[in-house]
Amino acid sequence: MEVTITFDANVYSSDAIKKAAYRSINKFAINIVNDGSNIKCSLTFKATTTESQIKSYVDEFKKEVLDQDLRESIKKETEGIRNLILAHTFSKTGLIKDE
Amino acid sequence: MSNFQTIEFYKNKKKEYSLLPFRFECLGENNYVVTNLAGEHLIITRDALENLVRHKLNSSSADYVNLRAKHFLTDDKTQIAKELLSIKLRTKYSVLSEFTGLHIFVVSLRCEHSCPYCQVSRQSDDKVKFDMSTEVADRSIDLALRSPSKNIKIEFQGGEPLLNFQLIKYIVLASKTRGGDKNISFVIATNLALINEEILIFCKEHKILISTSLDGPKEIHNTNRPRPKGNSYEKAVEGIQLAREYLGIDSVSALMTTTQNSLGHVKEIIDEYLKYSFLGIFLRPLSPYGFALKTKTYAAYNADVWHEFYMEGLEYIIDLNRKGIKFREYYTSTILTKMFTSQEVGYVDLMSPSGIGIAAVVYNYDGSVYASDESRMLAEMGDNSFELGNVLINSYEDIFLNPKLLDPIEESFAFSVPMCNECAFEAYCGADPVFHHGVFKDFIGRKPDSEFCKRNMKIFKYLIKRMEHDPYVKKLFMSWAQPNA
Repeated sequence: MEVTITFDANVYSSDAIKKAAYRSINKFAINIVNDGSNIKCSLTFKATTTESQIKSYVDEFKKEVLDQDLRESIKKETEGIRNLILAHTFSKTGLIKDE
Repeated sequence: MSNFQTIEFYKNKKKEYSLLPFRFECLGENNYVVTNLAGEHLIITRDALENLVRHKLNSSSADYVNLRAKHFLTDDKTQIAKELLSIKLRTKYSVLSEFTGLHIFVVSLRCEHSCPYCQVSRQSDDKVKFDMSTEVADRSIDLALRSPSKNIKIEFQGGEPLLNFQLIKYIVLASKTRGGDKNISFVIATNLALINEEILIFCKEHKILISTSLDGPKEIHNTNRPRPKGNSYEKAVEGIQLAREYLGIDSVSALMTTTQNSLGHVKEIIDEYLKYSFLGIFLRPLSPYGFALKTKTYAAYNADVWHEFYMEGLEYIIDLNRKGIKFREYYTSTILTKMFTSQEVGYVDLMSPSGIGIAAVVYNYDGSVYASDESRMLAEMGDNSFELGNVLINSYEDIFLNPKLLDPIEESFAFSVPMCNECAFEAYCGADPVFHHGVFKDFIGRKPDSEFCKRNMKIFKYLIKRMEHDPYVKKLFMSWAQPNA
């Protein structure tokens, strides 16, 4: 069973759609095509998936795309603050030799 | 014209604000949980979330005030937010620079039990083949004492470690003599079948703690843990009482493992812990390693079945507390400590960067070194991916800079793993590359298929919703977040 959903490429990024699809990787396979103005997603479900399950998985996917779009905005605005952490990891181990 | 602005000037003014890094996850219906970098959380509606991100949140709204107080946004009134967030983060990750604190010595692989879920043990009288030698012990002590951590915990494991008690004595005395200014503490993980007064006198003298197994009432325990006379339970409870007489009630702890036999009996299992005056229980699922896989005990239940078991147990424990009986569930406590404090509790499975090698390391009876207890279990299945070297031939640098340790830590770091990097529960969860390697043959796995991810996500959501709906539970859970309270 295959379902096709189209997203407006001016509204959503391919990344947001890919991330949303990844979260449903255990429910359907997906092919994503971006023609510049539209992003076409072809969702393929296992033969055992029922109609009502398909409907709920598709709805879930659409909602997830919206969430991913929000996550993208947050990431863009807050990117600079993230990378302060790893330096602490091996700082006192004695494993890092002076150059 | 007045010299003052009208009241409207101050009313409902949309302040300029900046977002601080945060993540969110749908809790169902219209509610979302948002978590900041330090793991502090709030529940808000979808509309509030959308408004927050689009900079449309009204500065006089309750959501705005709460989000600002918990460092999700910053404005001209809260320039200190970034500094506070940094301090909380620094505190949380400070444990990493201490490096390995827990050193597990497998002093014997031999055991007189034959538990079907056991990961590693051997029924054998061949001491030469399956017991740690003094030479391996000496080299392992050297490595343990090289750790920069001021506090070193040495845990004796097996098989049944008491089958090689002479070596335990040797390691305790040698590490104390050679330990300098380190604070060294000791734990013996034992089924207690072989405990006796001589051992306990030594334990008392050196403040050695006892960690034992209690799987529940007699029938469940003895079915789970067969030994020649079928008396594992009797031996365990006699041992618990005897050990407490010598060491004090707080020096003896117990762990349970959930098998198919446990399902449907969580209340009886908890009652058993209450009967023996334990202050809590760790409702622990099976791991997909060793004999647990071979004997199909691991396949006996999935994440959903285990969650039912856990939830029923947790609700029972909440009710006990409501009735005035103080008792806690330790896995929940570990998560709550991560939710409500900046402490890193050091539980290897729930750490990112992964706790393998960093929080704990295993010196096996034959000198091989493993990145964690689970790593040696994988090795028993023929998968040596996490074998870091051998104490007899490799140096500290060889072992702790081995790509077999560094690669899985780097690759599985949740900040760069698909789905984990955007997950609102990342601060509470862990990377667990050993579990994922065991199941998926790579350090990350696909999270939507991961039982580890499913099991923990369900727990996080459940705990947050439970606190939101019941003020008593919130108060109780906040007290559990203080490990020593």
